[in-house]
Amino acid sequence: MEVKEKGREHPLSIIINDTVKVFRELGFEVAIGPELEDVYHCFDALNFPEEHPARDMQDTFFIKGEKDKVLRTHTSSVQIRFMEEFAKSGKKPPFAIIAPGKVFRNEATDATHEMQFYQIEGLFIGENISMADLKGTLSYFYKKILGEDTNLRFRPSFFPFTEPSIEFDLKYKGKWIEMGGAGMVHPNVLDKCGIDSKKYQGFAFGPGLERLMVIKYLMPDIRPAYQGDLRFNQI
Amino acid sequence: MKISYNWLQNYFEEKLPTPEVISDGIIFHSFEVDEFETIGNDTIFDIKILPDRAHDCLSHWGIAKEISAIFDLKITSQNGFSKQINALQERLLKESSKEPSLKTQLKIEIQDDKCLRYMGRIVRDVKVGESPEWLKEKLKCIGQKSINNIVDVANFIMFDLGQPIHCFDLDKLTSEKLIIRNGKIGESITTLDKREINLDDSILVIADEKYPLAIAGIKGGTRAEVDNSTKNIVIEVANFNHTTTRKTAKKINIQTDAVKRYENEISPELCFITMEAISELIYSLASGELEDIIDVYPNKAKERLINITIEYINKRLGSDFSGREIESVWSKLKFIFEENSGEYKIQVPYLRLDLIGEHDLTEEVIRVMGYDKLVEKLPEIKINDSETNNTYNKMLLVREKLLNDGYSEVMTYSFRDKGDVEVLASATGKNFLRNNISDGLKESIKLNTLNLPLLDMKEVKVFEIGTVFLKNGGIMNVAYGDKKGVVEMSLDKFVKEKMPDDFTPNTIVEENKKSKPFKMWSSYPFISRDIAVWVPESEGNETLKNILQENGTDLLIKKPYLFDEFTKEGRTSFAYRLVFQSYKKTLTDEEVNPIMDNITKKISSLGWEVR
Repeated sequence: MEVKEKGREHPLSIIINDTVKVFRELGFEVAIGPELEDVYHCFDALNFPEEHPARDMQDTFFIKGEKDKVLRTHTSSVQIRFMEEFAKSGKKPPFAIIAPGKVFRNEATDATHEMQFYQIEGLFIGENISMADLKGTLSYFYKKILGEDTNLRFRPSFFPFTEPSIEFDLKYKGKWIEMGGAGMVHPNVLDKCGIDSKKYQGFAFGPGLERLMVIKYLMPDIRPAYQGDLRFNQI
Repeated sequence: MKISYNWLQNYFEEKLPTPEVISDGIIFHSFEVDEFETIGNDTIFDIKILPDRAHDCLSHWGIAKEISAIFDLKITSQNGFSKQINALQERLLKESSKEPSLKTQLKIEIQDDKCLRYMGRIVRDVKVGESPEWLKEKLKCIGQKSINNIVDVANFIMFDLGQPIHCFDLDKLTSEKLIIRNGKIGESITTLDKREINLDDSILVIADEKYPLAIAGIKGGTRAEVDNSTKNIVIEVANFNHTTTRKTAKKINIQTDAVKRYENEISPELCFITMEAISELIYSLASGELEDIIDVYPNKAKERLINITIEYINKRLGSDFSGREIESVWSKLKFIFEENSGEYKIQVPYLRLDLIGEHDLTEEVIRVMGYDKLVEKLPEIKINDSETNNTYNKMLLVREKLLNDGYSEVMTYSFRDKGDVEVLASATGKNFLRNNISDGLKESIKLNTLNLPLLDMKEVKVFEIGTVFLKNGGIMNVAYGDKKGVVEMSLDKFVKEKMPDDFTPNTIVEENKKSKPFKMWSSYPFISRDIAVWVPESEGNETLKNILQENGTDLLIKKPYLFDEFTKEGRTSFAYRLVFQSYKKTLTDEEVNPIMDNITKKISSLGWEVR
């Protein structure tokens, strides 16, 4: 008798879907944006100054023959698209979104870096959403995914689209691991999208998901994730 | 940037905490510290200055101010060298400061507003020579070479205060007049590193009345180079536009420590302090007679005032800081402030160009207080009409359907050798974005078919859902297939045509899924052997499986995989696949045959027949 075998899931996909599930349970709504972005949504609206290094060809994939197009370097562009639509529809905050997506950086690959990788963007705007809420939310998320025995800490950082900006580390199995960046959405970004920054505030975060996959499943290298090799689907 | 512990100590009377404590302080209140290492009796930190602080922290002074705020230590020296100068030199210095400096003939003319400020000072009769040991050592510890006392002092002050300086040999100028102007087509300059640069009108230069002498803010020229026979010098302490300096440096492909500072926009207010410091140090190490400073500063930097309330800070941070705590931060950062019933009027120090509004000051409060002071809280989300993104839902549904149909999920690269959309430059050499998933999927099927014995699968069936890039933009596709072929269509089309109406996904993710640790595979080839055995029908396959497992040795890298079974005339045939592989080398038949022989012997001894 032949038993019907179920196909095997990709570990990164498991992480993405688990992540989305945790945030959906909290009340976040899923948002998706295009991988092929325009410079406005990828940089201008996110408060990147004209001569920011991220706008250099060395770091970002620009599209030939289309001066205005790039492969998005972060899912933060989804923030902008969502907020523009939201403001246009006449709705008022609060809103909370979670946006998983593939992003691209033009850099040499090694065991911890790929030219394409997944980020999960979170954005929560309301009247009183604070830095303490950010810490609580991230902490809750990592405990859900990796277990109660995790600890979160913030360090100062800089991103043009958040202020304050932080980098956060996670203590997991006795070691501190750098997980990603976050912060309070810069008032300029809210204003550009038509959200009154005098009245509303909130946080955004955008950690990479490969890092989470690698530490959860104890993987030595992220590169096999994109080689179409089913030996990777062990989880 | 490389920062020396002993150099920092020169700013403080009090003994600094240990390098470990300093490093942690910087990491949790200011910047990432890549590493710190002990060199001789000093410790050198490698600090990654954040881009928004590069204008005021690419210097020992900048870091000393951070340490002062972090550890509440008082800065007692205006620079990092006063303590190095011995008593005699100090006396000389005191005497000289009593005398007014000499009248000067130096003239400075700014012809282009790319120069925001230009301070010049002639020092006559300097003694060019070797630098003292302490100076050589300070430069060496941050990776700089010693050249002569004049050049070294200029270099040292830049790493001390963050302001680039240039010195010209006065006697090599055609006149005692410096002109800051744009280059001219046809003009050229030989830089100190002996490169010939052709000028044009986008390149700002420092010139005398005939020749260009230096590329403003970027590199000096050989024409007025200070050398061992130099007697009289002109010190330049100037400020140039950050954007044009960056663009010019890029255009002529010269990157220097000066460019790094100018392109991050330093404050023109830094010039005065720097001119004082370098004058003092040159006088102390090379003597000479200081003439009056000429200072051309057309548009003085404006003082910035920011109003901020305690309420704003606590609302944004979700904290409960008191006025006293917040004021302690202002004091530690040397902000001048007035308080009026919970509202502060802050006078931002000139050098802190990054502080524009209340949100910036809020960051100052929490980073100085420490992010560990934040109390985590989970916000409640009260959104009534939260909806789920349609595309994401479709992706989940289609994924579940294909998994149920036995297709395994893969991810392949978005970059290919050909396609409809091309990127300008790529680190990998694959410059096109995929216009289909099928090509990648076919490669995946080929690879996995070769590896089939390793996969415990009957056949290779894979799918991928992802963006493909067409001439008119990106579209979400789904592709699935096996060795017979691959089908690809848009996600929307799949949902419309292939999804049964009554399809309901299982719970998408099982809660607390028990995961076994991931095991990286060997990159050496494997050998697979099939073995089929007749076993009495009543026996089952347990014993057989155990024999295979126990005698397979360490080289048997997978559990025996049962790929066929049937019963006939009271006997059952079990067919197993055994896969052998080493993590250290390529296996040969000579290594696998004895293992198989042994297994066959064990099975035969039970009276079972190996087919």
